[in-house]
Amino acid sequence: MPAVEELSAKDVGPHPLLAFLQSQPKKALSRLYQRPSSCLCIFRLLGPLERQIVMNILWLDASIPASTMSSWVVREGKKEYDQALIELSRIDVLVNSATELTLSATFKTSLRQAITGGGSTGSFGVPLPGHSEHPTPSIATLDTYALEKWESILHYMVSSGTGLPSAKPSAGVEFLLERSGLMAKAREMTSSQITSTGFQFLLHTPHDQLWALLLQYLEMSEERKTDIVEVISFLFMLSTMELGKEYSVDTLTKAQEHMLSDLRDYGLVWQRKATPRRFSPTRLATTLTSSLPPLPTATGAGGAGDSKGEGFIVLETNYRIYAYTDNPLQTAVLNLFINLKSRFPNLVVGSITRDSVKRALMNGITADQIISYLTTHAHPQMRKNKPLIPVTVQDQIRLWELEKNRVKSDEGYLYTSFASLADYEYVLKHGRELGVILWESAARRCFFTSVEGHASIRLFIERSGQNQQPNRG
Amino acid sequence: MDRSSHLSVILDLCPTQWSLSAKPSNPHPLPFDTFLSHLLVFLNSHIAYKHENSLAVFGALPGKSVLFYSSEEAGDLSTAEVVQSDPNSYRFFKTLDQSLVQRISREFDILGQPDTEEPPALVGALTKAICYINRLLHPAQTLSSPEDSANLPEPRILILSVSPDASNSYIPIMNSIFSAQKLKITLDVCKIFGPDSVFLQQAAYLTGGSYIYLEHREALLQYLIMSFLPTPSIRKIITIPTEDKTDFRAACFCHKHIVDVGYVCSVCLSIFCQPVPVCSTCRTKFPMKTLQRLNMTRTPSQPSTPRPTNGTPTRQVFSGLAANLR
Repeated sequence: MPAVEELSAKDVGPHPLLAFLQSQPKKALSRLYQRPSSCLCIFRLLGPLERQIVMNILWLDASIPASTMSSWVVREGKKEYDQALIELSRIDVLVNSATELTLSATFKTSLRQAITGGGSTGSFGVPLPGHSEHPTPSIATLDTYALEKWESILHYMVSSGTGLPSAKPSAGVEFLLERSGLMAKAREMTSSQITSTGFQFLLHTPHDQLWALLLQYLEMSEERKTDIVEVISFLFMLSTMELGKEYSVDTLTKAQEHMLSDLRDYGLVWQRKATPRRFSPTRLATTLTSSLPPLPTATGAGGAGDSKGEGFIVLETNYRIYAYTDNPLQTAVLNLFINLKSRFPNLVVGSITRDSVKRALMNGITADQIISYLTTHAHPQMRKNKPLIPVTVQDQIRLWELEKNRVKSDEGYLYTSFASLADYEYVLKHGRELGVILWESAARRCFFTSVEGHASIRLFIERSGQNQQPNRG
Repeated sequence: MDRSSHLSVILDLCPTQWSLSAKPSNPHPLPFDTFLSHLLVFLNSHIAYKHENSLAVFGALPGKSVLFYSSEEAGDLSTAEVVQSDPNSYRFFKTLDQSLVQRISREFDILGQPDTEEPPALVGALTKAICYINRLLHPAQTLSSPEDSANLPEPRILILSVSPDASNSYIPIMNSIFSAQKLKITLDVCKIFGPDSVFLQQAAYLTGGSYIYLEHREALLQYLIMSFLPTPSIRKIITIPTEDKTDFRAACFCHKHIVDVGYVCSVCLSIFCQPVPVCSTCRTKFPMKTLQRLNMTRTPSQPSTPRPTNGTPTRQVFSGLAANLR
């Protein structure tokens, strides 16, 4: 159990979209909350404690005194509870959290409607019966389509660094990648190059990658003066839709129809032709609000017969890596931090070397990212080992990273030319008590303090009637 | 903290008790259809809580137990039973609501109006629920590493009970409790109607769940959401009501009476309401002398006096039998 809690403490931070919602004006939020599907999705993006608080007061007609509610909270959980209340009021779900608790009226009505069904907002999308000539695509077709689209974006990013040719994604995707700082155009080059944030991005989970891009997309739409509420609510609508069903375009607004073509490029939506009257969401879209993404895409071993979502990397204590994959994307990502030795139809062999890891570090990838990538994609056979990644390899990767950080820089002030050793030690003693001394040398009678400590040290010296000249360090 | 959770709900569908519950002469009458609508909202809330949350609903009908709904079948249901898609409601909610209501009414139709009513098969439903969770926790692929077990759901069982204890189900219920403990399943009990259930109180107590006697029955939904929706990890922060007094009395193995003071076999720990020469479970023979002494010390009115709290069998009786066996 402790292992589980450790794990969740690390990744449980608030969802990136919530931060974006906080930055939105109240008016926009309350328009967003008019749609039951949006409320349901936002509810799911909240932390577990926040969800329970919302649920506890959802069906109360009157507001509840804050003291009544907090009497249910155990003393140790007080901090988390207060934090949860603040988070809720920031996105305007909760109003007036000082003395009494009540949900914002729009949010309450819509979430109630989402749970009980009914109303006439049509916010869950209008499904269409199968077309006689063109049958609805199967779930397998949708998965392949989403996988292809998504991996082609990632593959484009990876291969841009190596200079190998790869299919160029659409202009919209390219623009988005550049805007998000994942890729950048070098001066004399016509094509863009992957940046260090881009390299880090590649090692994230598909779910994080998807949201990172979508958030960029939201910001971009904001700049283009598109109605942000329509963009967000359309994303939420997609995430509540059913995989393998077709939905009608007719009920969408103009802005949303325009979005369809963008989302098609990212692989979130499938359409038979460029301007049809119907569309199908893919698995990328329908799992947007789940935190453990059952994405068979992108993590899958690629081969048709392989059980999807399983790891493929075997790492030995002698730094050798065997990756059972025929997926060019996965090979390319591995190539970021290992030396590839040989390739077979279903197997890639390589080894982790000092040079290969250094190269990755130069690209801005951290040792922890490498280790977590290896952990998440470990072959089931490796999962029998404890610890999963051999300790020698783990330590060595970390040591290589430390090599890079031999010099640590701190800003501060250097005190020199003390008149006597007694003076020096007198001031130094005071500094040590304050805990602001970063470095000292008795032989040269000088020491170095942090920025915060400078003021008090100087005051101390002035008070002691000394007359020293601080030099900026 | 943010693990997905699985909820198995067991509905006690005893027609007699429900018709009694609906009588307007009750202080808070609760007809079945009101109950059902509250329940559906609660179940939807559980699904809404997290995308990965799963659900199974079992019914304890007179003489048989049925699986009404499980989230596993929800995926295939779109082909089997066509649920009309509706732009105004979330598909999972709609499927759940429709199929649950349909199947419950179908079972009631089959049931008809028999002259004698069998007691509801609570044990059957409970066992099925535990088996279902066991399957969920041990998928076909062998997952051995701790990382994988973090992805498995936290299991809970919620029993919505209306009928009184059937004393002959003591042993199977206790056995289910032990299996639940082993699988780390939390058993929650909501007593909606009827007298307190001793066995279910013990079930909740022994598995770290909560037993709630519904007082204001019109507020069923609020009770359900505040007490039974939080997962075990949330319950560490927002507390939920628990019973301060739990009735620990056991039922004897011979006549299925609930006893205050029992006689325990020193070999297999079977409980009897009166001294017996041979243990019916493990066939151990007890010495004649002990039997006679125990029979003499017996107070005549024991098995019938109900004592609500702290009815643990006295230590003397335990040690008496054990000492004489040596």
